[in-house]
Amino acid sequence: MSSKKECVALLLAGGQGTRLGVLTQKVAKPAVPFGGKYRIIDFTLSNTINSDIDTIGVLTQYQPFELNQYIGNGQPWDLDRLDGGAFVLPPYMTAKSGEWYKGTANAIYQNIDFVDRYDADYVLILSGDHIYKMDYKKMLEAHKEKGADCTIAVLEVPLSEASRFGIMNADSDGKIYEFEEKPKKPKSTKASMGIYIFNWKKLKEYLIRDEQDKSSSNDFGKNIIPSMLNANEKMYTYDFEGYWKDVGTIYSLWEANMDLLDAKSGLGLDDPRWKIYSRNEAEPPHYVGTAAKISNSIVSEGCEVDGEIHNSIISRGCRVEAGVKIYDSILMPNTTVKKGSVLRHSIIGWDAKIGENTKIGEDQSHATDKEIAVVGPFKEIEAKTVIKAGEMV
Amino acid sequence: MVNKKMMAILFASGTDNKLSELTIHRTAASLPFCGRYRLIDFILSSLVNSGVNRVGIVAKNNYQSLMDHIRMGRDWDLNRKNSGIAVFPPFVLNTARDMYRGKIEALYTVLDFMTKTPEDYVVISDCNIVANIDFKKILDEHIERDADVTILCHSNYATTSKRMLVTHDANGLVTDLNFAEMPTAQKKIVSTNTYLVTKKYLIEEIEKAYSRALFDFEKDILFQAYKNKRIFVHKLEGFTAIVDDIKNYFNESMKILEEPIRDQLFNMPRKVYTKVKDSVPTLYGAKSEVVNSLIADGCVIEGRVENSILFRNVHIGKGAIVKNCIIMESGEILEGSRLSYIITDKEVVINEGRELAGAKTYPVVIAKNKTV
Repeated sequence: MSSKKECVALLLAGGQGTRLGVLTQKVAKPAVPFGGKYRIIDFTLSNTINSDIDTIGVLTQYQPFELNQYIGNGQPWDLDRLDGGAFVLPPYMTAKSGEWYKGTANAIYQNIDFVDRYDADYVLILSGDHIYKMDYKKMLEAHKEKGADCTIAVLEVPLSEASRFGIMNADSDGKIYEFEEKPKKPKSTKASMGIYIFNWKKLKEYLIRDEQDKSSSNDFGKNIIPSMLNANEKMYTYDFEGYWKDVGTIYSLWEANMDLLDAKSGLGLDDPRWKIYSRNEAEPPHYVGTAAKISNSIVSEGCEVDGEIHNSIISRGCRVEAGVKIYDSILMPNTTVKKGSVLRHSIIGWDAKIGENTKIGEDQSHATDKEIAVVGPFKEIEAKTVIKAGEMV
Repeated sequence: MVNKKMMAILFASGTDNKLSELTIHRTAASLPFCGRYRLIDFILSSLVNSGVNRVGIVAKNNYQSLMDHIRMGRDWDLNRKNSGIAVFPPFVLNTARDMYRGKIEALYTVLDFMTKTPEDYVVISDCNIVANIDFKKILDEHIERDADVTILCHSNYATTSKRMLVTHDANGLVTDLNFAEMPTAQKKIVSTNTYLVTKKYLIEEIEKAYSRALFDFEKDILFQAYKNKRIFVHKLEGFTAIVDDIKNYFNESMKILEEPIRDQLFNMPRKVYTKVKDSVPTLYGAKSEVVNSLIADGCVIEGRVENSILFRNVHIGKGAIVKNCIIMESGEILEGSRLSYIITDKEVVINEGRELAGAKTYPVVIAKNKTV
């Protein structure tokens, strides 16, 4: 029997992330590398443990092997516990039935027993594809203070962008009276961050009812939140201030990486009080050769750099040969770029090999919605190939 | 039944005294090396990669930094249910007058650890060897030769430090052993002070020598025993360094800037493990210039770095110039400082505009936590 936990976190990591194209062909979105030595999921896992929540279920479904292996027993995040810790929760069979996770709400529904095992009062629902640092403990305190049934973390977004988000319309006290998914004419600028705290008993009722409704698409945004609002449950917003980005598209993934190079972005990772943990590979320090020039860039361990690197993120274990020029680009782990190649505004997937004198991407510095060239993981690009801006191979 | 497995006993403080300032606060084993490692990481990783999963470390003094580094041994996959890693703090025997002298007495204090474990072979070693060693291969050779002891050697100049010179015949059989009293002008076959020993033989010899109040493993045991023709050499081929004074700490570190040497240490299936610290990757500023250097994670570089090694979380300020230096963890070289041939220990701060220079033959050490 497990002991009681006040709050259990559930991380939705089952989505395919189709908009990331070749990058998520073989791995789930949360396992995609980020920022030189991290994976996207490191941010939510680190936030969870830094918020003193030590029990987290990671709900996986799409291409789970990489993610399962990465999480392992949770040790890198200090989540290997005698009681609690990190659990990978794939869909499973029961005596009566068994099926894939049909939607976000159904995924939680199928894991009711997991939460019940810890007799949790509250559940924290998280997404595995956001880059941010957040203290969930403060959100839980606000939830308890207001006596809420559900608290939804919201972020102030510019009015011009509000129609891309789920918008929460709330009164001055933060009580939500309306929720609009991607409204054409937004009434407020409070965008849902996809982070919810529920009173478990209450959520369980709604999950069971939602499951019985055959017409429901079993989704939090489409079904659970609206039906709780209709029933006039106590639902509040929680204002989050700070860096947050959904990295669901190639452009936003590129942008979030670039934000690491901008001290003003607010995404500083070097905070000893809020470390971002990751599973580390045993790599020596990186070596910078005699012909190298590096400016305004991040370079990780295990790299050998002899070329030019400007405004770029070079992940662990990369080789950049002499005569190479890299601008505004991301090299994911273990990529090799051979002599004389020029890369601009591009993302190179892990373990890819770029042949000599290749040209990837074009200068997009003046474009408003930049087109990022992408080379898929394990791809071998022949010498002298030209890959245009925005092209994905 | 023969158990063709090895265990290991490491001595944490073999050569501390000649490393002077660098080992005031720590054992030689925990001396930072090559940007993110401690010296002990190389022998530990070699052992683990060769299937050795029972390692005892005999500590003598200043071993707090060692305990902090090793913890439960997880970073080397040595947090095992059975076997794993054990650190033996100094243990004064009732029959001894003082803390153990030499390896014989040290081994005698851990005799239980050797007799109660199933492995038939023991690797005994100091922790100041930097190499990537395949002990499996050496064990096969040891068994095939029916040896009592295999001495791991490399070809090197003997220094003033007491190094054991080894003479052997065409079959690798040791025919003479002696200490180098003077530095040699030619390369010799020099012992690395790492041995593979048949355990039964070792226990017998240690008990015998201890009862006669002998304590020097090399002089009192090996110098006699090679005459029985059961001691052999194994010459290490890849990069092998023994770090036992400041000068060779500096020179051996700088060799790792050469690609072939780096490849011999790191670029093979046998990885070198160390304690995980979750540092962020290194950030290069708009005006940084870095040439021929090794840089660990967590640094912020805004100045010029040349032929140098930066450990984790080092900050090089704008306009600062660091040439031929080793800057250990959390060093801060502030704006406009110029350093050459300097080794700064952990958490050293060099204030704005300072100029410090050592010489190639005499690198200057700035002690831990000091501000210049």
